[in-house]
Amino acid sequence: MSDLSLLVQMGFGALLALSVYLPLRCGQLSLATPGFYVIGGYVAALLSTSWSALSGDGAGYPLTSLALELVVAALVAAAVALVLGRPVLQLRGIYLAIATIALVEILRVLNLNLAWSGGAVGIFGIPQPFAGPGGYALATWVLLALVCWLCARLEDMRLGRAMAAIRDDELAARCMGIPSADVKLTAFVISAVIAALTGVLAAHFLNTWNARQGGFDASITTLAFVVFGGSRIWLGPVLGGLVITALPELLRPVGDLRLILFGLVILLGPILFPQGLITPERLARLQQTL
Amino acid sequence: MQVPSAQATAASSLLALEEVSCRFGGLLALDRVSLQVQPGEIFGLIGPNGAGKTTLFNLISGVGRPTAGSIRWSDGAINGLPPDRINRLGIGRTFQNLHLFQRLSCLENVLIGLHHSARAPLLPALLGRRSFRQSQGELRQRALELLELVDLADTARQPAGSLPYGSQRRLEIARALATAPRLLLLDEPAAGMNPIEKEELSALIRRLRSRFDLTVLVIEHHVPLMMSLCDRLAVLNFGRRIALGTPESVRHDPAVIEAYLGVSA
Ligand SMILES: Nc1ncnc2c1ncn2[C@@H]1O[C@H](COP(=O)(O)OP(=O)(O)O)[C@@H](O)[C@H]1O
Ligand SMILES: [Mg+2]
Repeated sequence: MSDLSLLVQMGFGALLALSVYLPLRCGQLSLATPGFYVIGGYVAALLSTSWSALSGDGAGYPLTSLALELVVAALVAAAVALVLGRPVLQLRGIYLAIATIALVEILRVLNLNLAWSGGAVGIFGIPQPFAGPGGYALATWVLLALVCWLCARLEDMRLGRAMAAIRDDELAARCMGIPSADVKLTAFVISAVIAALTGVLAAHFLNTWNARQGGFDASITTLAFVVFGGSRIWLGPVLGGLVITALPELLRPVGDLRLILFGLVILLGPILFPQGLITPERLARLQQTL
Repeated sequence: MQVPSAQATAASSLLALEEVSCRFGGLLALDRVSLQVQPGEIFGLIGPNGAGKTTLFNLISGVGRPTAGSIRWSDGAINGLPPDRINRLGIGRTFQNLHLFQRLSCLENVLIGLHHSARAPLLPALLGRRSFRQSQGELRQRALELLELVDLADTARQPAGSLPYGSQRRLEIARALATAPRLLLLDEPAAGMNPIEKEELSALIRRLRSRFDLTVLVIEHHVPLMMSLCDRLAVLNFGRRIALGTPESVRHDPAVIEAYLGVSA
């Protein structure tokens, strides 16, 4: 894999980690992210391969068509999240986690068996808006920067404060007039949109899309990003997503040992840093020493 | 301020409970309790542990639902409404067993109480425009003023969970005030305070009432304090309202002396 391709994958990791982080920021352990990632990918794959008007007449796939896919994927994901979110978010803690894993699995099985999703083989020959990995890297990191900026702004906004309040004590938050169901739903919808946008870029980047892109494994991996990096401030999941995606590639020189080392890192991270690598306190101390 | 008479009527009342009952399995925590709270009064709720006082607050604030009876606020029924809706109607509360946002600073706790005053247009907020920063500055100023009012301005940046007990209780009051209530429910606000702090709290509650035009419903065990603070009192025992009236009349009520005050008299 080229360095630029790795950079793209790392960007995807960080984006999906932020998608898991947002519901967690209001105390909701939702593992639905891979499901919305898959939905975004299918929107891109289906639109770009079956709607010829989008392909344009030039050599490459037009960027305007990519932009249109991003908009459609965001709308579809938001609509699905809005409909599913109300009932699902009434579940708490581990029950919400299990329910969202189940949703992702149901979606995977559906996609494996439906005709329009290409069944088990999936959809091939997704056109390329960028000539090489460089373009993908740029697009991915621009999207990542935008999402990071949104998360950073949340810290200053009342929505961000309301999310923190619900995470700390939902009952108290409600008694202070915060409509917790709406706030949780908002976080869930933004999370879904981020995952779907990532899916659009990933489908083009991988050139092919199928049901295996999301499933139980993906739910756990995206959760590992956040557990490893930390879930109390947005830098945590970003770091977790980047590092854990890059690690298997970076460890390639050590050969067969790499899976063991990878496992060790994932295991030791939470043991040594139960709150994740990055916490607001550690960040403040770092700022002081610099 | 005019002190309402003991025989206040339902028609003029701000909050009216009619035959409210609450059952937890085999336990009747509240048994057909009726009472009316008049605008501007400080209304006390006393009774032994387990009498149902906190349960009553939970029903009024929407944390629980009555199994029978109705709760009227101004002129609409509010039983069954969720807590955030009830807060928006003008009922704020504190918690006996402290429900602060422990890891957040005192200032943030109060800012969260100001949630509905903090509404700002989305785009300037996302872009961090000056208009947004200005409104946020004003919001912080208001939060600081509320902290000052409860004597916590110095600890504005400290995590709420790190404060001493008495300060946490006052922070709960400031946070509830931030939601701009017309009725404030205080559940044992003096618990864990020393006698001097209790006196100060009593003065604070009176000050807050006149400054914010508040009506106050307060639960507290310290009977002498309640006698001097409250305009009227209700006494609960085993979920029943056994007495209601001015401190003077409650003090001499035989049922109260037998059930409750008799223990200490
Ligand atoms: N959620 C609940 N489930 C079951 N029993 C409860 C619940 N809340 C309160 N109770 C019971 O109801 C009774 C009244 O409790 P409470 O209202 O807290 O009394 P007080 O505040 O007067 O000390 C107690 O016996 C208590 O154990
Ligand atoms: Mg109580």
